[in-house]
Amino acid sequence: METLVINTLNGLSWGMLLFLISMGLTTVFGVLGVLNFAHGALFMLGAYVCMQIMQIVPSFWLGLALGPLLVAALGVLIERYLLRRVYARDVSFQLLLTFAILLVLDDAVLILWGPAYHVVEAPPLLAGVFRLFGHTYPVYRLFLIIVGPMVGIGLWFFFQFTRWGRIVRAAALDREMAEGIGIRVPLLFSAVFGLGAWLAALGGALAAPQQSVAPSMGDRIIIESFIVVVIGGLGSFPGAFVGALFLGLLESFGTVFAGHAQMALPYLLLAVVLLVRPRGFFGREV
Amino acid sequence: MKRLRVLLCAAVVLTLAISLPAAATTAAAPIKIGFVYIMSGPFATYGQFAKQGAEMAIDEINRAGGILGRTVEARFEDSTGKPDVGIRVFRKLVFQDKVDCLVGLDSSGVANAVVPALLQMKTPLIITHAATPDATGSLCNRYTFRISLNLSQNVKAAALIAAETKARTWTTIGPDYAFGYQSWEYFQKYLKQIKPEVSFLPDGQVAFPPSKTTDFSAYITKIMQAKPEGVLISLWGGNLIDFVRQADQMGFFNGEFQVLMTLGGAVEVLDALRDKMPKGIWVGTRYWFLANESALNRRFREDYFSRYSQYPSYNAHGAYGAVYAYKAAAEKAAATDKEAVIKALEGLSLELPVGPITIRPEDHQALTDACWGKTFADPAYPIRILKPMRVFAGEEITPPVSETGCRMTP
Repeated sequence: METLVINTLNGLSWGMLLFLISMGLTTVFGVLGVLNFAHGALFMLGAYVCMQIMQIVPSFWLGLALGPLLVAALGVLIERYLLRRVYARDVSFQLLLTFAILLVLDDAVLILWGPAYHVVEAPPLLAGVFRLFGHTYPVYRLFLIIVGPMVGIGLWFFFQFTRWGRIVRAAALDREMAEGIGIRVPLLFSAVFGLGAWLAALGGALAAPQQSVAPSMGDRIIIESFIVVVIGGLGSFPGAFVGALFLGLLESFGTVFAGHAQMALPYLLLAVVLLVRPRGFFGREV
Repeated sequence: MKRLRVLLCAAVVLTLAISLPAAATTAAAPIKIGFVYIMSGPFATYGQFAKQGAEMAIDEINRAGGILGRTVEARFEDSTGKPDVGIRVFRKLVFQDKVDCLVGLDSSGVANAVVPALLQMKTPLIITHAATPDATGSLCNRYTFRISLNLSQNVKAAALIAAETKARTWTTIGPDYAFGYQSWEYFQKYLKQIKPEVSFLPDGQVAFPPSKTTDFSAYITKIMQAKPEGVLISLWGGNLIDFVRQADQMGFFNGEFQVLMTLGGAVEVLDALRDKMPKGIWVGTRYWFLANESALNRRFREDYFSRYSQYPSYNAHGAYGAVYAYKAAAEKAAATDKEAVIKALEGLSLELPVGPITIRPEDHQALTDACWGKTFADPAYPIRILKPMRVFAGEEITPPVSETGCRMTP
């Protein structure tokens, strides 16, 4: 019983962080058709900017509120001045461009903040532990388990029920038609890319109190986010949620029960899904 | 007219061709040392610190007149932690930059790939961090030297400390590559020799998280549920920082079992963790700046602190020591010819900030002291220091050559 509960909590807290990152990735792909390799670097930037803000004003909440917004602004600039030029070209140009942006951001972080490890403190409200089965468990992980779905539901609500959300979905569904009825699609694309960047950076800022802020900290989570997005279905919100949950729990329980094979589990899952149902759990028919 | 111009150009070119090489030989060519460390990615801080140590050593030496009257220059390359990149940059340093000596390596994986390649490059390498015993063991060759504490030495010290505790069932958490596995393998071997009644948990109850892991909760839970009496942790760098923070919150350090961290005394880890590093945990390192009160060490740590505003980490000390080891060897051989330096390095004894070391001629591994200590909060330092400290003499912890698997062909 104890094993079940603790491992479930572990899996959920990791899964919800994955969900936040994957949401941004899948939204950008769903609307813009761009697979953003630099997404992990935006995650890393979110953590670094949050840390930097906290060095000026020691408030995690400020860093959490402001940091992702700053990274979102950078995302808008990237889309407007770099990505927009390669939409008309082959998909491989997009991949190369976003990969190049990843490399540039990685080195920029090294130049600006140096290679040392930084540590971000959780706010006093969330820094504590509570007793669980005779051991302690961090409150911060519970916070992650709650925040993930909250952001997810908020975003889903936005896309389903608000006018702006409908406009975004229309542009995603049929770009020419949307332009035809007067939607300023290029502006919309910048905004959506900015949203994707905001989500990645939010994930980074939320991850910062739990793991050290260091160069290339986005490497591991971005690979798993890609897996989540593919198994959930490219462009699908509920898909990202289910995929992230599934992967998080699989890894958590796999660590305990699968031993050395545990490392292969995400990739095995990816392979199985691609073979059996290539569009993912909730993906649209290609 | 055109013919005259051609002749004039030819004359100029020929004169330059004859005079320039002569000009080069009249001024003494600098000695070049090539350094290869991880300069990017999550372990970039190790390369940075090594560079700091190396540059400080080179500046000191150049100010004092250089080596054999020649100035020393450094070339730094990034191994990125990948073996193929490591080999490539080594080749560049040797064949393109024409370095006189190679110094380096953070990653044991890169070391194991690069060491055999040295036979073609015919240039000595002084290892200052990578700890795989194979580099001066099963893969040993005449070009590979190591002046830093290696895995078997550090783990022997760990076993000696473990034997004195009451823990009888041990498990481990280590990174998912050779370093983690070998640390566990050697720990079991050494501890069993000293204290035969100990037992070790089976494969299903040990943890080897991949190096890219940032969330260790599942591994922490797994080990805690296995209810060991002692845990050997060979995680290092960013992994160790993340692990300690997360494990502390999950009650890992509540004293239910003994915890030994083979690289917990690394300054970069202590500096990042500050108060988050639990007190009273046995940690090891490859160099501890307060372990030795010799004049040399005191000057080293003061100069390092005033230059970089940090306490010297073991990687900084390693690179610093390698430059001085090269100097000592070149002066002993009165030459910088690679073969002469190799011969001079064998059996070389010199004093470094860590203490006196001797490079064993049979396997080229240095006999150097190991310092372990319990983490302690001292108000005079912003980081945890080690108190009490246990210094193990090199002779006590270094396995005899016969055990290392080294068969050096002359």
